[in-house]
Amino acid sequence: MKKYLVATTLLGASLAAHADAPGGPGCGWGNLLFEGQSGLGVHLMATITNGTSGNATFGMTSGTNGCDVSGSLSYNGTSMLAMNGVLEEVAHDMAAGQGEALTALSVSMGIAPEHRTHFNQLMHSHFNSIFPRQDVTAEQVMAEIVEVMRGDDTMAGYLS
Amino acid sequence: MSVLVRQFRRLWFAGLLAMAWPFVANASGADPATLAKLPRWQALMHVNHGATWRDVGESYVDDDAFFLSPQGKRSPLAELKASIRAMREPGSPARCRFPARFRFIAEQLGWPDAGRGLAHCADYLQFRSELATGQLVLIFPTAYLNSPSSMFGHTLLRLDPEPDPDSTWLSHAINFGANINLQDNSLQYMWRGLAGGYPGQFSIVPYAEKIQEYSRVENRDIWEYPLNLTPDELDWLARHLWALRDINFDYYFLDENCSFRLLELIDVARPEANLLRGWRFAEVPVKTVRALYRAGLVADARFRPSKATELARLSESLSSSERSLARQLLRDPSLAGQPAFQTLAPARQHRVARTAYQALRMDHREGERDTDVATRSLALLRLMQQTPAGAMAQSPPPAPPEAGHDTQTLTMAAGVAHGAAYGEFGYRLSYHDPLDRARGFLPGTGIQGLDLRLRWADGESLALERLHAVNIRSLTPWTTFDRPISWFVAGGLEQRLVDTNDDELMPLLEGGPGASWRWGSLVPYVFGVARLETPSTSRAQFDVGAGAEAGALFYGAGLQVGLTTRWLEFDGGRQRRRSSLTANLPLSRNTALRAACSHERTGGEQANDCSLSLRFFLD
Repeated sequence: MKKYLVATTLLGASLAAHADAPGGPGCGWGNLLFEGQSGLGVHLMATITNGTSGNATFGMTSGTNGCDVSGSLSYNGTSMLAMNGVLEEVAHDMAAGQGEALTALSVSMGIAPEHRTHFNQLMHSHFNSIFPRQDVTAEQVMAEIVEVMRGDDTMAGYLS
Repeated sequence: MSVLVRQFRRLWFAGLLAMAWPFVANASGADPATLAKLPRWQALMHVNHGATWRDVGESYVDDDAFFLSPQGKRSPLAELKASIRAMREPGSPARCRFPARFRFIAEQLGWPDAGRGLAHCADYLQFRSELATGQLVLIFPTAYLNSPSSMFGHTLLRLDPEPDPDSTWLSHAINFGANINLQDNSLQYMWRGLAGGYPGQFSIVPYAEKIQEYSRVENRDIWEYPLNLTPDELDWLARHLWALRDINFDYYFLDENCSFRLLELIDVARPEANLLRGWRFAEVPVKTVRALYRAGLVADARFRPSKATELARLSESLSSSERSLARQLLRDPSLAGQPAFQTLAPARQHRVARTAYQALRMDHREGERDTDVATRSLALLRLMQQTPAGAMAQSPPPAPPEAGHDTQTLTMAAGVAHGAAYGEFGYRLSYHDPLDRARGFLPGTGIQGLDLRLRWADGESLALERLHAVNIRSLTPWTTFDRPISWFVAGGLEQRLVDTNDDELMPLLEGGPGASWRWGSLVPYVFGVARLETPSTSRAQFDVGAGAEAGALFYGAGLQVGLTTRWLEFDGGRQRRRSSLTANLPLSRNTALRAACSHERTGGEQANDCSLSLRFFLD
């Protein structure tokens, strides 16, 4: 059950940031990362100092960039913005039948390695019910994934 | 039997120690002065052993909260004594703040509760239980397209729950970054960056976030280097990370930057590797990778292509008609009903739909996405889902960044100019020009800082031929799906032909936008050019010039050739035409032979210059 929760937050994280993902009102990364960092000064800086590094190009972020070192490392609300885009990756992998995001989802749900191919196929064949509209929310996606798994003999075991 | 006896003796001895413990601080006999000199304690204190020039012998940590002794920053011994005092009491809060120090002290002094002395530290134990330490990986996001400064890259670390995990999306990234003030302008940014005006901190974030950031938003390929640190060594690192939360280190672009701090962290895990004993100026991430290789820490190197690289590979696997079909499809997915798409084999249909989808996402990776884009995205995904993926050939990864040439350059040249022979010595602080050996770099991209040339011509004295502070070129080829703007900028001093048919040293600043293409090994390009220069050293004025440049780069097997021609007209009506041909022949990773000829015509004067140079890369 705990692992199921992790998976929910993996998807749910992007939900809170963009309720109508995939293809919702955009990814918020760009603005934060590039502000004040794409100018000529940055390039000059790099040339002159020969040593740059950082979060975006240069180890530079404004504020803490959602980085939480207070002790909580779980995939929960603190990294909401961070997990932006995951739902989109999952959608792509389900349509293709496999991929890193889909693997991450199955690992986070505790699905055994020998069942992952089956999981991938199941998700692939139910793509249309899992992503019925372009404005589906991550919550709805997760609920439908659970529904699909419940209807499958092998996968139903992971839900109990 | 004898084993049991020995164990019993050990237990008995431990029990005796436990009883006598308040009175016997130094059970192992080691005195603090000796312990404070041990590499592990020095690493835990982040002592500068001369790797950088500021405050040698002191701690790199710039935060009072990190030290229990007022002398802690300057004296590892004082800090050790203060730590021993503070941690002696079971249940002391200092143990929870510095679990790595506690482990060191408890083990060295043979404290009986070394194993369970942190039982009262609920927050730390929670953190430690969530931070799985199966494997440490150095992460190097390489340069991204059209951003030459990113060539220097960034490095971070990743902690995997187990060696070679099934999914790295669930791993944690350890990042060191500075917190900049977005209100600062470029000049303030540069100054503070150089002078340590921004505080830097370690942070732990989900690795999936970093993948999104680098491979999707910034389109940077990522190299991942698993390190061979043991779980016990990683325990030191995990404990120490806890003590570093919210702790400030001044951030210096030049040396004490993200890459350097990672070395400090790895030093805590394996002090014997001596990563920070040498002089480390201008810590570029690729040097960090090389340092870890030298220390025998790197177990493997893996390539994670960015979304842009994935799209490029997909696109290359299509025929040109399939590519244009993909472009039409991303604008209007309903075209999939037309014969042009329907007559394709199902696996080709999948690949065209996939290319269209990825190109569409690439277009809209930043900024707002409207319903139209979302609807088209879903339609293309449906198309992908309805067709079989087929086998995708895995392209081999490119050469890793550490296979590239070193960062500084020395050149020795001989040539003829104005009909007179000359010898030339050159030094370049950084890093790469578009004709240097491209292995490990993005072709067409160059970034040069502090490029100095001294020339001794026959019958003349030694003279400064050129001092370019900066020279950046970014050629990003147009593709079926994207038409990026190439650009260049340069500034500095150089000898230039003036009307009196002589050269004078004068300042210049130039730059402009352009476009480039890629046809196999050939990269043709055009630029608009704007240039500011003094017409003569005797007149204190600036002339503004405008014009155009066209050229081509050829990247052959073992040879790079560049041909370029430029025309400029200045506001006084003065014109200049300049053409050059350069061939660069790499002899090894760090040596090359270069031949260059140029012809220039300014006003009524003209000059030719041909030279042959040997180039050595170092550091």
